[in-house]
Amino acid sequence: MYLKQLHLQQFRNYRQQQVEFVAPKTILVGNNAQGKTNLLEAVALLSTLRSNRASSDRDLIYNDADTAQITGTVDRIAGTSELSIFLRSSGRRTVTLNSERCRRQLDFLGTLNLVQFSSLDLDLVRGAPENRRRWLDGLLIQLEPVYAYIWRQYNQVLRQRNALLRQIKKAAARGKPIAPPGTLAVLDVQLATLGVRVVRRRWRALRRLVPLAQHWHSEISGRAERLQIDYTPNLQGADEETIDRDPEAMRQGFLAQIQLKAEIERYQGTSLVGPHRDEVMLTIDNTPVRQYGSQGQQRTLVLALKLSELELIEDVVGEPPLLLLDDVLAELDPDRQNQLLAAIEDRFQTLVTATHLGAFDDRWRRSSQILQVNAGAICE
Amino acid sequence: MHILQQSEQDVYALASALTDAKKQVGLCRECYHLSAEPICDICRNPQRDSTTVCVVEDSRDVIALEKTREYRGKYHVLGGVISPMDGIGPEQLNIQPLIRRVSQGGVKEVILAIGPSVEGETTTMYVGQLLKPFTKVTRIAFGLPIGGELEYADEITLAKALEGRRELD
Repeated sequence: MYLKQLHLQQFRNYRQQQVEFVAPKTILVGNNAQGKTNLLEAVALLSTLRSNRASSDRDLIYNDADTAQITGTVDRIAGTSELSIFLRSSGRRTVTLNSERCRRQLDFLGTLNLVQFSSLDLDLVRGAPENRRRWLDGLLIQLEPVYAYIWRQYNQVLRQRNALLRQIKKAAARGKPIAPPGTLAVLDVQLATLGVRVVRRRWRALRRLVPLAQHWHSEISGRAERLQIDYTPNLQGADEETIDRDPEAMRQGFLAQIQLKAEIERYQGTSLVGPHRDEVMLTIDNTPVRQYGSQGQQRTLVLALKLSELELIEDVVGEPPLLLLDDVLAELDPDRQNQLLAAIEDRFQTLVTATHLGAFDDRWRRSSQILQVNAGAICE
Repeated sequence: MHILQQSEQDVYALASALTDAKKQVGLCRECYHLSAEPICDICRNPQRDSTTVCVVEDSRDVIALEKTREYRGKYHVLGGVISPMDGIGPEQLNIQPLIRRVSQGGVKEVILAIGPSVEGETTTMYVGQLLKPFTKVTRIAFGLPIGGELEYADEITLAKALEGRRELD
């Protein structure tokens, strides 16, 4: 797939900006805080409707404006689509696909696929489990957009259940304990039903991703090291085969564990069982990367994960996704830069940001469109 | 602006109609639907089948279902859905009166017609469990819109439609 055009209105520090992408690779050059990352963020929003940087839509809108708009034109095998997002400071969004308003996010997601890779992605390897869950969920939404719906529902049940557990905890603290209401039992069932759906899909995605990641990892590290990725759902006794063959048994197991933790949950006032506490363990030669990996090992691993993400999305979607590289090339040594270059060739449309062109290999510079970014304005 | 352009008399008439509505319209003692009388038109109507009760979230749902002219039974309006985040538990809804109504006997079927949101689902399951000992409990099916083609339906709607399938008669 290919992003031909991008139009920004009152988005972040852009007043009005039209960008035409004319080469498979585009390098955005400029000093810090000029708007390079903002541009990538706009593209990512068209793909996932999520921003990794903004806490509310207010942050995405130009200083005093009330609304912002992002529009992109995407070529795919099946035809050209125009994606548009209207953002309002009130937080209400309108998304359209080919000028037709989408009633649900689901109808919009999956039109533009991409992989993001920024310097923050080292947290994927060394950060808390939450980073890996967010990464996996983001990938899943691209592989099967219906996951966005399941995941939102799970989180809504979780919030309701936590609210109820807090009420029970407070009542106990006031010396007037209340018996666990029937509502809790119902929320237990809902949490287990949706939780099993989340776990099952996370497993399914990892099953396909792991061999690809291992392949890339051994390529980049020169076959010297052995990468292992283990999904550990926060669900004792869960295993991959059972969940596919007999999700009902899994659900019963989920409910049994909630029963076991019932008292602690009421004491702590929060839900302790379920995929909101899953972990994806990354180990190299039997050593957890999170604690023991060197910086070099961690970078190699993130690169391998990103390349496998590209490949998996291409496999599932049937077209190569976009690659957004934010400030990472400079952090990779020339060897890894070349490996990245060789892997993406001209197959994956790539948008790269950098503070100066010196960081790029000659081959990169020759085959790229170069755009200067300066205070919210872009020129050739 | 529209109101300012009307005659004084019309504006008074409108204002008194609004205050009258506010003063007179209360909730039916039987089903909690909006009603000017202690018992609403639907509950008083001897033509309506009192062995079937359809449970809905609010009065707007009653009006929508009435428009279909398909349903001949009676209603019960819960006045909301269970949502601990908003401090709404079963006690804040008209669930106890429903149980009382059904446990007195004479109701052959309760149809739960609450929307498929997370909170709607919580409420459906909660109410369903309480009513099951007394009568047959069913829920409305969620599925394909009329005129919709199967191949254009999304997988969530299709899955819901499959869940609510029934035997061909």
